[in-house]
Amino acid sequence: MNDRVSSGALLDVRDLRTEFTTGGGVVRAVDGVSWDVRAGETVALVGESGCGKSVSALSIMGLVARPAGRVAGGQILFKGRDLLELPEDDMRRIRGREIAMVFQEPMTSLNPVLTVGRQITEACEIHLGHTEAQARARAIEVLRLVGIPDAERRLRQYPHQFSGGMRQRLMIAIALSCSPDLILADEPTTALDVTIQAQILDLMKELSRSFGAATLIITHNLGVVARYADRVNVMYAGRIVERGTAREIYANPRHPYTLGLLRSVPRLDEPKRERLDPIQGQPPDLTRLPRGCAFAPRCAFAIERCRAEAPPLQSVGGSHLSACWVAQDLPQRSALSPQPSGDGEEIPSSRAQRGISR
Amino acid sequence: MWRFVINRFLLMIPTLLGVALIIFLLLRVIPGDVVEAKFMSGEGSGASAEVLAAERARLGLDKPVWEQFAIWMWGVVRLDFGISMWTGAPIGDEIALRFALSLQVALMATVIATLLALPLGVLAALKQDTWIDYAVRIFSIAGLAMPSFWLGILMILGFLIFFRWVPPMVYTPFWVDPWQNLVQLIWPALAVGYRYSAVATRMTRSSMLEVLREDYIRTARAKGLWLKLILVRHALKNAMLPVVTVIGLEFAFLLGGLVVTEQVFNLNGLGLLFVQAIARRDYTLTQALVLLVASAFIVVNFLMDIMYAWLDPRIRYR
Repeated sequence: MNDRVSSGALLDVRDLRTEFTTGGGVVRAVDGVSWDVRAGETVALVGESGCGKSVSALSIMGLVARPAGRVAGGQILFKGRDLLELPEDDMRRIRGREIAMVFQEPMTSLNPVLTVGRQITEACEIHLGHTEAQARARAIEVLRLVGIPDAERRLRQYPHQFSGGMRQRLMIAIALSCSPDLILADEPTTALDVTIQAQILDLMKELSRSFGAATLIITHNLGVVARYADRVNVMYAGRIVERGTAREIYANPRHPYTLGLLRSVPRLDEPKRERLDPIQGQPPDLTRLPRGCAFAPRCAFAIERCRAEAPPLQSVGGSHLSACWVAQDLPQRSALSPQPSGDGEEIPSSRAQRGISR
Repeated sequence: MWRFVINRFLLMIPTLLGVALIIFLLLRVIPGDVVEAKFMSGEGSGASAEVLAAERARLGLDKPVWEQFAIWMWGVVRLDFGISMWTGAPIGDEIALRFALSLQVALMATVIATLLALPLGVLAALKQDTWIDYAVRIFSIAGLAMPSFWLGILMILGFLIFFRWVPPMVYTPFWVDPWQNLVQLIWPALAVGYRYSAVATRMTRSSMLEVLREDYIRTARAKGLWLKLILVRHALKNAMLPVVTVIGLEFAFLLGGLVVTEQVFNLNGLGLLFVQAIARRDYTLTQALVLLVASAFIVVNFLMDIMYAWLDPRIRYR
């Protein structure tokens, strides 16, 4: 349907397909996925591990591990240019300069034998032609921005002298050093203590706002999404199953998988439930996807049609999209909770909206 | 850093003491002694018990074992290793020239091996599973499979057959005539260095492959660095750690001399001296040689530790 409302998008991913050849066959890690990020906005890519979210980010960076992995099709339009068509050296100029990436594992993503200063300054030296002194000044500046005190001394230290949270700040500092237009944050807080997670996310939100950088945040945590993302894409088995604003996704999920994700997350603002409801079953084997909807085998709402025919991603109200045959018949989120909670009040209005658009 | 160096240095003393004690006792446990070896074999056999006892007294072998050890140790502390029990020449004179030769061959072989191994190993890792990788693999496995003395024989035969030339067979010290010296020693160094490089190439390749899969290499690529910079700055230093170990241990091993390869090239190195000393039960000479080789191992290990610390700040700051 109206999949692309995004003529002026900063990043426009169209029908991206990334495959890995393994002993067990071809894994379609990303299977015809389209989404976009507009300048300055924060978009989330949500899903379980192995659903293709990290591979999506690596595809954009051109860093999919070869020779096993390859981008098999689609377009990645960044500022109107297709990154998949660019020669390697042009792509190299974009990496770190225009699109920067923050990785999941701050403990292993920094080089243990190089000083922190060296690792921050090298991108500026290469992309911006900074002299050593200029790059150093810039490094001190970004270290202060990410909240690392005593920057001059810290620059001469090595990664092992920093804690996990501090190292993720370093990764963010590296990503920010060349003032990129887009930051891809791949599970930036997964490896960190819960108390540090919020700090890092707040920092990223604040910095991307002050830099005017757009952010793609990849996570399995819908709590993160609610707080930090403007728009959300929910991925399952290499495809997008639901898309909408954070509010739409959170208050009125229209895909059984999203519903399941929400119900498996503990919430402090809801009355205590007896226990969390995990999603039953396992993510599917990507080499042998079922003919119909990939989620159907685990879905409590599946009908005959779900197993025969894969549902397209279509509107369930404005820009809120869902790939589900029974999207309109799903229960409201609050109806699933033992006791209706505060966000139940929004549902009538969104239902009314849907009525209008239909 | 300095505390680390000094600690390491002080640890060498008990190690050497242990080596000295063990070799001293071992030599006295094996049957026969230098006096028997001298008089009981060949023409002199049948010497009377008095002659043997007199000779033992002359060499100090009639004293209690602990006293012999104390005398030896006191000498070692003053860097006086005594005289050879077989030839009567001072140990220092027996060893010095041969050690110089073995040291030079070992150094040259190490340089050759390193110059071969690093580029080949890195290249093979970068071109993994291509014909370049296979070619490097065949080259290095051939080096592992061929004993260096045999390669030495092939070299000499090859020179003879194709060039009607043989390398000089008489040792000239480097300080007498550097050119003559190098023309002689380059061949054993090559024969030994090839095998040596094979081990180091394999290690460089696998270590490099491992490092290239590390997360921080992906980070470096995500920064938009050139491949060359990623290799030199981010990968090589990390990949060098296990390679340094292999090169260092092999070097220390070479310092002990090479029995057969030395024969092939008619070199009078430590290897031959070692074999003779043990066969003759030349206690003082064997002890000095073992102590020398052990010291070489310990010093090389010490240098490797310092190299590690230089390469890896996590060790330096512990």
